Amino acid sequence: MADKYLIEPDVEFIKEIQKMGGDTLKKCFQCATCSVACPISPDNRPFPRKEMIAASWGLKDRLVGNGDIWLCHNCGDCTALCPRGAKPGDTLGAIRAYAVTEYAAPKALGKMVNDPDKFLVLLLIPAVIFLALGIVLKIFGVNWLNFSPGGEEIVHGKFFSTWLVDLIMVPTSLWVVAIFALGLRRFLGDMHENALREGKTDKEKIDAVEFLKALWRVLPTILKHKKFSECGENQERATSHLMVFYSFVGLFIVTGIFFVALYGLQIHGPYSQWNPVKWLANVSGIALVIGTFLMIKERLTNKDQVTVYKDWYLLIIVMGVGLSGMLTEATRLAGVAGLSYTLYFIHLVFVFNLFAFLPFSKLAHLVYRTVAMAYAEYGNRK
Amino acid sequence: MDKKYGVYICTGCGIGDTLDIKALSSVGKKFPVKTHPFLCGKEGVELIKKDISGEGTNTLVIVGCSRRVNFDIFRFEGCITERVNVREQVVWSHPRSEFPALTEDQIDDGEHFDRVQMLAEDYLRMSLAKVEKINLPEAYKLDTLSRKILVMGGGITGISAATDAAKAGYDVTIVEKAAHIGGYAAKVRKQLPLENPYEDIIQPVIQAKIDEMEKYSKNITVKTNTVVARIAGQPGDFTVTLKKPGEKTEFDVPFPLPPEMKVDESGKELDVEKLRERYLEYNQGKKDILTFDPNGEKFGAVILAAGWRPYQPEKGEFAHLGFGELPDVVTNHQFEEMASKGKITRPSDGKEAKSVVFIQSPGKDEDDSDFAYAGSVTSLVSLKQASYVREDYEDGKAYIFYQHMRTPGLSENFYKSIQQDPGIFLTKGSVVGVSKNGTGLVVEANDTLLGDKIKVKADMVVLATGMVPVTVDDPVVNLAYRQGPAFRDIGLFNGYCDSNFICFPYETQRTGIYAAGCIRRSMTMEECIEDAAGAALKAIQCLESVNRGVAVHPRSGDMTFPDFFFQRCTQCKRCTEECPFGALDDDEKGTPKPNPTRCRRCGTCMGACPERIIGFADYNVDSIGSMVKAVKVPSSDDYSEPPLRFLGLVCENDAYPALDIAGLNKLSFSADVRFIPVRCLGSVNVIWIKDALSQGMDGVFLLGCKHGDDYQCHFVKGSELADIRMKKIGDALASLALEMERVRQFQVAIDEYDKLPGIINGFVAEVEALGPNPFKGF
Repeated sequence: MADKYLIEPDVEFIKEIQKMGGDTLKKCFQCATCSVACPISPDNRPFPRKEMIAASWGLKDRLVGNGDIWLCHNCGDCTALCPRGAKPGDTLGAIRAYAVTEYAAPKALGKMVNDPDKFLVLLLIPAVIFLALGIVLKIFGVNWLNFSPGGEEIVHGKFFSTWLVDLIMVPTSLWVVAIFALGLRRFLGDMHENALREGKTDKEKIDAVEFLKALWRVLPTILKHKKFSECGENQERATSHLMVFYSFVGLFIVTGIFFVALYGLQIHGPYSQWNPVKWLANVSGIALVIGTFLMIKERLTNKDQVTVYKDWYLLIIVMGVGLSGMLTEATRLAGVAGLSYTLYFIHLVFVFNLFAFLPFSKLAHLVYRTVAMAYAEYGNRK
Repeated sequence: MDKKYGVYICTGCGIGDTLDIKALSSVGKKFPVKTHPFLCGKEGVELIKKDISGEGTNTLVIVGCSRRVNFDIFRFEGCITERVNVREQVVWSHPRSEFPALTEDQIDDGEHFDRVQMLAEDYLRMSLAKVEKINLPEAYKLDTLSRKILVMGGGITGISAATDAAKAGYDVTIVEKAAHIGGYAAKVRKQLPLENPYEDIIQPVIQAKIDEMEKYSKNITVKTNTVVARIAGQPGDFTVTLKKPGEKTEFDVPFPLPPEMKVDESGKELDVEKLRERYLEYNQGKKDILTFDPNGEKFGAVILAAGWRPYQPEKGEFAHLGFGELPDVVTNHQFEEMASKGKITRPSDGKEAKSVVFIQSPGKDEDDSDFAYAGSVTSLVSLKQASYVREDYEDGKAYIFYQHMRTPGLSENFYKSIQQDPGIFLTKGSVVGVSKNGTGLVVEANDTLLGDKIKVKADMVVLATGMVPVTVDDPVVNLAYRQGPAFRDIGLFNGYCDSNFICFPYETQRTGIYAAGCIRRSMTMEECIEDAAGAALKAIQCLESVNRGVAVHPRSGDMTFPDFFFQRCTQCKRCTEECPFGALDDDEKGTPKPNPTRCRRCGTCMGACPERIIGFADYNVDSIGSMVKAVKVPSSDDYSEPPLRFLGLVCENDAYPALDIAGLNKLSFSADVRFIPVRCLGSVNVIWIKDALSQGMDGVFLLGCKHGDDYQCHFVKGSELADIRMKKIGDALASLALEMERVRQFQVAIDEYDKLPGIINGFVAEVEALGPNPFKGF
């Protein structure tokens, strides 16, 4: 439509948002308490008041590509103070979930991630891939899957060969990167267009170098969770989030070292418990389990905050990764071979879910929010 | 009645500590004076009762607290009771810390005087003078009393009012000009909720209301196709002529001449005889107002529930909204008609109207006001009609553009519930235009909550136009009153039949006629039903007051009524013109004909009468005049520097209580002012002012309610008339070489007690600056 003022509400969009945790959005009566209460909203064109009316009018175009929805950290201050119980924080959370499914192709997969009925299917996908690929390779004589790994020591690599794992996980990582790349291209464009239309940026075009510099500038904010800790209501969430965040960083480093050691130095695992890399792995693993546990506990006790399937999905997967990983190690050290190998398989299934569906799950926020924050920094959004 | 006086001085509440009771007692010494430390206590009251039964005392002067308190304790059957307010308005408002008592050697030194003691003594003197001039009232009884109630209008309000009155045991007749009862309530598809949780629209309740009414068919008569030709007489004894709509009868009420007929060709006002001639010509074939229809029906009170008509925009009035030009732009009334017939379709081509925009405010220029005669009900109706769109079409969309979304009380729940519908979109904004777009429409609005300008596509546009009270078009009540068939000054309320804002709902400016429902303001059906109950109760109150000969409102229970000494009447017509309630008719010569049950006992006639021939048993020109004269005005013969004296005539309704509250709050003000409560400033006769000034008082002020368009006068016109009279008195003063500033009128509301010291002391200081009254001592 040529007329930029013409608006056409999308009722289906409203219903979707309501399903994804924004069922209260229609309660908003536009008093703007939320925008005033928000500790991290900029002064110029603050959120979430304008997002709330756009949502209740079903104006998808104004929301999906709106960088502001990602600047929100769902502190909950607005939700706590909203006189109508419209829960702006949770509504923005729902809009974010919708935006994730919008930008991640194929959309069908995004739908599956958000559909509780498909949870088992998602778990089955890696199980089938691992087993099927292992068996197919076996037929061709490549023995990377061994159902009766022997030997004194329990080495998980003897069951699912590291080669087999990486044969799956490396392409998966690439696919994730590709999906994000495609999504981000559209996202950046939309975000810029939205910012131009709403007067939220002082830049005409996106300059890649300047943008990267802005990204560099916001990294400390992200690493220190500075925005998160400005929040009032849900401040304790910053702690658990920080734990989970750094445990992932730790595990990422461990995986990196392991990868290099394996393929570069031909050093195989498992590492000795005295190895500093193992220390980092253990600390991170424990932090992951505890952090996730705290998150689940908060979700269960905080009745003011909306928790829907998208939240539980991610928490279960992360918890699954952490718990299965730690238990695999524990059973290995205890010498319970059968159980340990089974747990390892479960661990692989969870890890696959976490990574392969990252662009479709709530976890995608780590990319979108980072980019949105970098864009806000770049566009001088204040 | 032979008066036997008794003076009782209470010394409690600080009175005895502040005043010299002995000296005060000696003021009343021609009568038995008794003091008691706690007069309102059991023992004190017994003391008085003993005198009443033992001594035959029947005229009691009780010196103590304000008459606004303990009135029930000091009410004695068959006795005149006068209260001398030395508590609130003397000792509490004039503390010894500011007004010190005299020392031993200051007494009678010809130089010093005790202002507070003087004040108390004056008040006692004034009351003693007053009780000599007043009598116990005797009730005015009608010869015949009708206890039937006439309900004008058979809509939801009229039906509810009739049912309510019938439930209370009264006979009711409903007149409805249409062929069927039910009114607008019978024409809607659905209606707003009536009970908790107030969330969803409901099926119309009108049939249930009619069914309920029919259970009382013994008490209720329904006359459809009927209107009121005239209502003559007075409450308790109205003679009503009914007729078919459009019919001409000799008892059609005569109408006053329209302004253009009151002048000759050159625009000059016609003389009285010529006017009379024209009036008769204009009303040819109609009986005069004093002739009662022998076939008329008798009623005691009237409930006016004649309702409203939909606002009909004039041609081009909302051109920017396309009304009149584009067939798919309709009013809320037209939309309701369509909705009640079936699915909503576009008037232009009969296609489904799946996208409908509701406009609350015409939004022309900078003006953000809603459509004329709109109100919260029009906001709620838009919400209701928006849900019709959603009812009819699953993919329907309804937009509401408002400047004001008024959903008072629990109707907020309805707003909240409608808001939940994903297909209903609300925003504040000013609609700047509706234009054609293919076969549909485009609505453009500025300053919306969505930021700047927006445009939406619509199949139909609905304007939330208002509900015009039928009193705008027509007098409706057709009163055979001297002041005309219609309510006066309802232009102040846009033609809504209202008399005084929120204080007195249902009350019109005509006693015995109580308005309910949309004739009072635009209302929801729920409000109408509640209003009907209120008006029914008022009508019952009226019947149960006039039967005992007491006033209905606002001086409920007052048994007095104005008494005319006709021998001295000069037929000046001031009383008949000025009576705010049209209580006085007049004959051809202009002699007033009182209708006591129409009267509200404000005394405006008494204030107006230049011959001073109107008075009440306990309130008349003489009684107040005697009080004025009882004030001791000290002169230089008494003291070397005598204090000035001021008279304050204080409206009983707001100003006098405000003075009491000031006393209660220990706010102090000049002790040189003597206050006299008056029923209304309208009852103030200028003779009192002249009396005060001629006996040497230095200044007089009136303290009463706000007047003007947003008046607070309990008698509508009183303070306004007083203001006019005070302006006129200025000329008279000038001729006496007295400064105009010596007479003033101040406006005060009941809650403005804190402003009183400033007003009083300010006036005192102004007059002090002028110097003493030159007539002092003559």
